[in-house]
Amino acid sequence: MKELSIEKLHIAVGDQEIVRGLTLRIPRGEVHALMGPNGSGKSTLAKVLAGHPDYHVTAGKILMDGEDLLELEPDERARRGLFLAFQYPSEIPGVTIANFLRAALQSRLPEGEELEATDYYARLYEKMELLGMDRSFTSRAVNEGFSGGEKKRTEILQMAVLEPKYAVLDETDSGLDIDALKTVAHGVNSLRGPDLGILLITHYQRLLNYIVPDHVHVMVAGRIVRSGRKELALELEERGYDWARDAATEPAYR
Amino acid sequence: MTKNETATIEKQAAPILSGSSETREFPDWFREQQRAAWKQFESLPNPTRKDQAWRFANVGLLDLSPFEYGGTLTEKERATILEQSRGLEEVAGRMIFAGDELIERDVISDQLKKRGVIFQSLERAMVEHADVFRKHFMSQPAKLGSAKFAALHQALVSSGTFLYVPRGVEIELPIEIFHWLNGENASAFPHLLLVTDELAKVTVIEHFRSVNEHVPGFACGVNDLVAGPGAKVTYVCAQNWADNVVALQMNSTTVDHDASAMSLNLHLGSRYSRFESLSRLIGEGGRSDLLAVAVAKHEQEFDARTLQDHVSPHTASDLLYKNALDDRARTIFGGLIRVEPHAHFTDAYQKVRNLLLSDDAEANSMPGLEILADNVRCTHGATSGQIDEDELFYLRTRGIPVPVAQRLIVTGFLDEVVQRLDHPVISGHLHRMIEEKFTKNRENLLRRAG
Amino acid sequence: MKTETSAVDIDRNKGDFFYPEAHVRDAGAGLSERTVHYISDVKEDPDWVREFRLRGLKIFLEKPLPTHWASKDLEAIDFDKIRYYLSPGTEAKRSWDEVPDDIKRTFERLGIPEQERKFLAGVEAQFDSEAVYSNIKKAVGEQGVIFVGSTEGLKNYPEIFRKWFGKVIPIADNKFSALNSAVFSGGSFIYVPPGVKVKHPLQAYFRINAENFGQFERTLIIADEGSEVTYMEGCTAPKFNTPTLHSAVVELVALKGAKIQYITVQNWASNVFNLVTKRGLAQENAEVKWIDCNIGSRLTMKYPSVIMKGRKARGEVLSIALANDGQHQDTGAKMIHAADETTSNIISKSISIGKGRATYRGLVHVPKHLKNCKNNTECDALLINATSRTDTYPAITVRGTGNAVQHEASVSQVSTEQIFYMQQRGLTEAQAMSLSVNGFVNDLVRQFPMEYSVELKRLIELEMEGSVG
Repeated sequence: MKELSIEKLHIAVGDQEIVRGLTLRIPRGEVHALMGPNGSGKSTLAKVLAGHPDYHVTAGKILMDGEDLLELEPDERARRGLFLAFQYPSEIPGVTIANFLRAALQSRLPEGEELEATDYYARLYEKMELLGMDRSFTSRAVNEGFSGGEKKRTEILQMAVLEPKYAVLDETDSGLDIDALKTVAHGVNSLRGPDLGILLITHYQRLLNYIVPDHVHVMVAGRIVRSGRKELALELEERGYDWARDAATEPAYR
Repeated sequence: MTKNETATIEKQAAPILSGSSETREFPDWFREQQRAAWKQFESLPNPTRKDQAWRFANVGLLDLSPFEYGGTLTEKERATILEQSRGLEEVAGRMIFAGDELIERDVISDQLKKRGVIFQSLERAMVEHADVFRKHFMSQPAKLGSAKFAALHQALVSSGTFLYVPRGVEIELPIEIFHWLNGENASAFPHLLLVTDELAKVTVIEHFRSVNEHVPGFACGVNDLVAGPGAKVTYVCAQNWADNVVALQMNSTTVDHDASAMSLNLHLGSRYSRFESLSRLIGEGGRSDLLAVAVAKHEQEFDARTLQDHVSPHTASDLLYKNALDDRARTIFGGLIRVEPHAHFTDAYQKVRNLLLSDDAEANSMPGLEILADNVRCTHGATSGQIDEDELFYLRTRGIPVPVAQRLIVTGFLDEVVQRLDHPVISGHLHRMIEEKFTKNRENLLRRAG
Repeated sequence: MKTETSAVDIDRNKGDFFYPEAHVRDAGAGLSERTVHYISDVKEDPDWVREFRLRGLKIFLEKPLPTHWASKDLEAIDFDKIRYYLSPGTEAKRSWDEVPDDIKRTFERLGIPEQERKFLAGVEAQFDSEAVYSNIKKAVGEQGVIFVGSTEGLKNYPEIFRKWFGKVIPIADNKFSALNSAVFSGGSFIYVPPGVKVKHPLQAYFRINAENFGQFERTLIIADEGSEVTYMEGCTAPKFNTPTLHSAVVELVALKGAKIQYITVQNWASNVFNLVTKRGLAQENAEVKWIDCNIGSRLTMKYPSVIMKGRKARGEVLSIALANDGQHQDTGAKMIHAADETTSNIISKSISIGKGRATYRGLVHVPKHLKNCKNNTECDALLINATSRTDTYPAITVRGTGNAVQHEASVSQVSTEQIFYMQQRGLTEAQAMSLSVNGFVNDLVRQFPMEYSVELKRLIELEMEGSVG
């Protein structure tokens, strides 16, 4: 089956266990929201999916369309179709967005094959238009001196251009005002489709008003404590995370 | 506080270059070190401008042959000095030296004594606390060019201050020390050895002054500050020697883990003043702030050389030196941030700013970096400029006359450094000293004009 | 970044090949008056040049090595083992067809004739001590532009040559300028007449082919009033087992309102000692701009200077240094302000990789009673590995009011987060590193002339990518 599957995952930083036996499946074509309070391990999960070297998977599996991700380097995972929109995107001084994305696309081509410049720019500009971004943006260095909203929009632009199979959006709504939130949500929505699975990590329910998920999972202290349809998010908003924690006696995932 | 006056010993002044006169009673081991130091002084060559450490310096001013050391104060001189030794209102302890002789001491409170604080003259400390003393006394080599003068100091030092603050003791009020030069061609070899143990806290202010306003003199001092783990040491130097004095000062600060040391050096007096400041960060979490302000007028030359030596990872240092230069004055700043191999995660900053107020003033800046580790955040900057015309105009439109406006701008420029001290009483004192230098010059001008 | 192996490496294999020597003229190893007379005899120097050389020799022998401030590595140079003059004994050819086959092939492999056809106004190619090829496009020559070797220049144009030769850089400026003065051979002499703007760059290419050899070219460029010229030089040598010495002297004279732009791509093999003195003189309203890129050599010591002698003169140094294992790039700039309203700008970027060491030394001098002089200096260093080293040693003297001088320097590194971010987009660690390094130099490279910046970026990008395992 075409899905991103996380099975009984345990993650540690140093000798502290942050994720403790997490299981989650995201089939292509679906949007899953992962909600949880600060410190529940959401962002750790995002970084581990992408292969950040600071975290250690002590047990469990991550499979993408059946392939073991944990065996792969971060760039190999990315080239196989995994995308992470960072909560805090890095600044890369001097490297323009145009050059950066070009290099990223080029890295996906077989050796000896050159990216066609005109096609590339056509594709880039089309996606920028979709996100309401000015073309002059492409000559700015990646994230350097960007506002919070610009950074997040740039993350979505990269997602649009790189066309991943699975995208993990880590707190993409943080630091966005309502206008910026709408623009980013519009971007994400327009990328939804049968070929893309999305894991939407968020602390607040408000993003889910704009990107309506197929499923909602609640994560507390390194585990999924509740799963349900989109209504779960509203219920959670009303009752708070303590409710979710208390209710955690029920089976975590069907 | 109780006052302990020490007895005056009759003695004759002798030329510096005749060597140690050995008039004081010192332990044999100390004498032996002094003789060795004298030999070293004699064998080391005189600095020349070709030495990197003396680049731009007017080394011709370093002729020591006229200067004498030793000699005795008259009762009248002594009384005058004591009367003029006014600094801070409230202090935890005070020592007053004239020509390297301790002439008055306000001892620390019994409470501090009971908690183990030692505040003594050098000559007593080397006998009564020989272990700590010998461990730290001149333990840091003079790396910044003045090894010869450090040797001279060691050979001829005859008194000074020893301050030891034990573990966990915080001395709230500052310790104050005065050094006076008295008489023509007199010399002084001021010494401060400050050792703080873990989590101790202390502030020391040293005043350097002359009895006679225009006579030549020579000062060659050494300060060794040791900040133990987690300790907080603040050191302030208020240098206001007479305008014909040649002065050399070699300071070293050792900062252990999680300790912080802040030094502020105000340079107002002397003909030529060289100031070497070595800060070694030897433990993780250590931080050192190096601040200096110089107001250079007439023919004055201020020659500052610094080294921020990051030996341990996760250490921070921040240097800010500001000079205001008028007339034919010169300043030299030679600074180096050195990040030793393995001292990763260092944060080091260095900034020197020169404000030139006359067409004949000259500012030389050599801000240097040597980085042998990575994950380092390190920047330095040097600027030289003059009073901003728009700023001046703005003040004038408010009715402030040009000289006053200029003074306001210059003192404001320098105040940024003084305020970093985070000690309003001492900042206020230094601020007044800076203002006085400007007014004094104006009075001189008026006198000359009249 | 703490990577075990150096993540970035510059491949200098492009120049690492050589052909058997076929020299007719050889001054032999070691340096004495006899060597100087041999060179003077072979070159049929006029008497004043012979005397100039002998004075250079005397000063060279008297002056100590500058090891009190510079690298002790200088002591590794054995001046007695070096050969000071080697040439095939023929004059420089005007056509590549006349150039001996091996030599022609050398330059073809380096792509020189191709570049000449594409975008150059003239080319001079030096092989060991002498130029083997020298040609200027007809149209440029017809404008009165002179572009010849230094020997030809001093013989055929003595009235202009002698007026400026050794004036910007006196023999005794330093030990290596004295050495060059004693044994100089090759290099270019360029004169651009008043008002002539040479559209395309003039290119010189310096090639060392022989082992135990010292190359001492001497270049003098004079841009007459209101004229403009761009000069580019490139250099390579094969990697021999023994150190090779390259010690050039370059003097630039920009007369009133003239502009000279001098571009260097230094890509010597990693056992070449590259000890070069470069200085320009800018008269009223004139501009001298050095673009200096140091990628190769074992030790480079080079501090391009501008003396701004006329009102409103401008000086600029843009420099990029890349120091890898076993390399010390000791570079910088000197700006001497000697007239009112002169402005200078220094931007220096260095990258230290592996055990490489990059040093910036700068001197800015604004003496007395000048008005409205400005200097801006920016030095940025990038450290790639834990073992890399960078130093910055500027010296700034400002006298008087009415001038503004500022110096800023920073040291940074490519962070692990930055690399991870780029890897997440599909780039390998090596590609990410290469892109970051390019980003670091990008804003500076963008100020370089087009042909050059494209070439340089390609060089850094491709060679870095290709060399990471």
